[in-house]
Amino acid sequence: MSKDQVVEIRKQAIGQSVPNKESATLLTGRAEYIADISLPGMLHAAFVRSPFAHAKITHIDVSAASDMAGVELVWTGADVLIHTPGITSSVDREGFVPTTQPAIAHDIVRFVGETVAVVVATSRQIAEDALELIDIDYEELPVVANIEQAHAATALANEAVPNNVYFRNTRVNHEVDDAFSNAALVVDGVFHNNRVSAAPIETRGCIAQHEWTSGLTTFWSATQMPGILRTMLAMFLQIPEQTIEVITPQVGGGFGQKAHVFPEELTVCLLAREIGRPISWIEDRQENLLSATHAKHQLNSMALAIDEAGKFLAIKHHSTTDGGAYNCLPWTVGVESECGAPIVTSTYKIELARAETIEVATNKCPIGSYRGVGYTAGHIARENLIDRAARKLKISPFEIRRRNVLLSEDFPYTNATGLITREGTFLETVNTLERMVDYDSFRQRQTAARAEGKYLGLGLSIFNEVTGMGTRALNFLDLPITTHDTSTVRVDPTGTVTVTTSLVSAGQSHATTLAQVAADALGVPVDNVVVRSGSTANTQGLGTWASRGAVIGAGSIGRAADVVREKIKQIAGHMLEVSPADIELADNGVRVAGVPTRSMTMAEVAGAIYFAEAAHPENFDPTLEATATFDPADLVLANGGHAAIAEVDIDTGIVRIEKFFAVEDCGQMINPMVVEGQIRGGIAQAIGSCMLEDLVHDENGQLTTTTLMDYLLPTSMDVPDIEIEHLETPTDLVPGGIKGMGESAMISAPAAVVGAVNDALACCNIFIQQYPISPERIFQELQNAPN
Amino acid sequence: MKRVAEDELIQVRTTVNGRSYTFSTEARVNLADALRYELGLLGTKVGCEHGVCGACTILVDGKSARACLMLGVQAEGRDISTIEGWATGKELNPLQESFRRHHALQCGFCTSGFLATATELLRENPTPTREEVRERISGNLCRCTGYETIVDAICDPEVAAFARGEQSA
Ligand code: FES
Ligand code: FES
Repeated sequence: MSKDQVVEIRKQAIGQSVPNKESATLLTGRAEYIADISLPGMLHAAFVRSPFAHAKITHIDVSAASDMAGVELVWTGADVLIHTPGITSSVDREGFVPTTQPAIAHDIVRFVGETVAVVVATSRQIAEDALELIDIDYEELPVVANIEQAHAATALANEAVPNNVYFRNTRVNHEVDDAFSNAALVVDGVFHNNRVSAAPIETRGCIAQHEWTSGLTTFWSATQMPGILRTMLAMFLQIPEQTIEVITPQVGGGFGQKAHVFPEELTVCLLAREIGRPISWIEDRQENLLSATHAKHQLNSMALAIDEAGKFLAIKHHSTTDGGAYNCLPWTVGVESECGAPIVTSTYKIELARAETIEVATNKCPIGSYRGVGYTAGHIARENLIDRAARKLKISPFEIRRRNVLLSEDFPYTNATGLITREGTFLETVNTLERMVDYDSFRQRQTAARAEGKYLGLGLSIFNEVTGMGTRALNFLDLPITTHDTSTVRVDPTGTVTVTTSLVSAGQSHATTLAQVAADALGVPVDNVVVRSGSTANTQGLGTWASRGAVIGAGSIGRAADVVREKIKQIAGHMLEVSPADIELADNGVRVAGVPTRSMTMAEVAGAIYFAEAAHPENFDPTLEATATFDPADLVLANGGHAAIAEVDIDTGIVRIEKFFAVEDCGQMINPMVVEGQIRGGIAQAIGSCMLEDLVHDENGQLTTTTLMDYLLPTSMDVPDIEIEHLETPTDLVPGGIKGMGESAMISAPAAVVGAVNDALACCNIFIQQYPISPERIFQELQNAPN
Repeated sequence: MKRVAEDELIQVRTTVNGRSYTFSTEARVNLADALRYELGLLGTKVGCEHGVCGACTILVDGKSARACLMLGVQAEGRDISTIEGWATGKELNPLQESFRRHHALQCGFCTSGFLATATELLRENPTPTREEVRERISGNLCRCTGYETIVDAICDPEVAAFARGEQSA
């Protein structure tokens, strides 16, 4: 059977808002996160981090620190270099410049926060005290602090990156110039997206333990990708992979930030092997803001050509990523602009497109993945230009989208970048949002408010989302990666079901949603299923990112369950004296189709398989478990849209997001409550990322926002109640018709937030293209407004 | 005031979740770390250690407090309540139960802090409006839920009934 096989799943638990099975553990403080794990003899690591964005380390003396009571070991870059050159990250594309980020910097530091030395001590306090005693001299080097300086290339951010350019690419290059010169209307803009952090409330952390007698290494990490981490530890540290087990405890949010392999993880693993005692590293918030990956830092120029009927003719897009000093692993700097360019036309019929991208090196923390990876910035640009065009054409933002979205008669539609859309509810999304917003009465309310000196605005954004990232999807994004995630399904001797999966959870409720899938695949109650994830001992896979959990989980569990199901049918057919094809699995047992009285419980069937050879048909293989992978045959596209209503106080510059609306079509939902949770959480991040959050660097490349007092996360006062409606267009690429959706709100909702502010201020001729939209920004814009 | 050397251990007597504890700690250790590592009460989480995220919120003498901003030695003579004390045996209290029903948590890292803040609020006012709840929980950050379901959970009528009982008790 091929890895994209779609097995049948009879829907029963799927579609129900089954409460999260993990809730009681989390609500009583009994869940075990990385910082809660303590092992006998465990030591604690703390890192010295560079105070300079670019400098030569001219002298480093660790003797005072090493002599301190309680300190076990101090390592610098030179010590770690003996074991590993560091993290080399690249992508197999012509002209791409790889980099190697040392596990600890040696000779040169290339961003503020890069590790320079590590202390291992009996307590974290002692380790931190010892950091102070390490004597380091730096000689500052010229800093490449922003995109402009990167292009000027008078200095190099990283000498491995010639001209400060990692990569440039033209994803699509249609002849668009005629369309632009003949267009009735051209709207364009230059959009400065801010650098943000996914900032999970739990910071990063890991623990390594090595037993030299057995050669086994156990590595706990708050990671979204235990499988990749294991392989990378093996590759970069030259440890035989079979001797490593990566364990993922409860993870306190990841959002893409924990979908990387970090230099600190390499270092901690090496230290545990060196010292022979378990070593724990728990990051503090300042380290997290300094040195866990940053995200979304793009500069986009975009232009849209439109005819007199409001139809889009062509789009021009140029995107630059401020990539930082190294390629993150495994995504590289391509994680932003390279991922965004392929979906630049989104859900619209735009026949002609030109999309160019470039990634530059700067002396900043590496750019990495964060929910809505690569797509967010381009969406803000395009959706806001569309709103602007609607205002110029004096048609509603809904109407202009209605005239341009793909319609069902267009399917299958191959767009300018080669994306094939087979289904989707784009028109329905626009119409649904228009009804939810109650558009006409909103405009009346807006006019009435203006008369009272209040500035209300409506922002709109619609999207498609490439979900359940498998080989096809990654290849579409020009990432030549093959995926191969496995799940194991076992029917236990008493008829209960144990599922083991490589898809770890960082709050996505997999223990519940994947149990719902397995329950329906085998016709048993959800409570009879347990889902275990979090160890590489049993399953292999790339992990939980890019809205993969539901799709890859349903696919692999479905395929594995199918193998087990056939075994069950075989023995039940034999025992009930009918053909296996006539056996159905339902109601926690088996029955003869059409003759419900002829049945057995799952416990009876499993018992017969495990313990009663006499009941077996001839040559019966009693293995009641199977492992299967899943990789969808094509891209699994979800879609939907967002609308926001904002009020801008033009005296204070303060924006209040008054209302939010979301439409989501992720096919058959496994668990609507979980889906809505993902939407709401993503919208909160959307509001944060374009209104509040900003990783600010000064001209020396110094990060000035290193606490949560400066880096502002959205609170309960910033995020309104959110109205959600669902459309359900099942896909035939995934069992049950399920699509992914975890990233949708961070793809599209930021555009709606920005759009709402721009709509409110359109009467003042203001169109904000630089984010976040802080009160200061609004004040500035009002100062500079034409009238 | 008593002077102590930097690394001198100080003995602290305190009550946590109705039980008396005596532990020794350095003066500089914050209360969150003291609870977690001296007493093994790991349900109190640490997200920033600088008083902003609210993950470490606990109840000290019935009032919400940030355990990362207090010192372990300040627990002396106090009556502390943490997430480990809020379920009765294997039964969640109505506020915890409401969080479960409303899907008011995803990764769960912020949850103990929200429960502490909400418990304090509900003792003062068993039937707060949504705005009052939003205002009160604005010192607790959640990166997963978008807050709405947390507000739903705190405003649930079954929680109000429980809170009234707590208030009169
Ligand atoms: S850890 Fe105490 S407020 Fe963040
Ligand atoms: S549930 Fe994850 S931070 Fe609140």
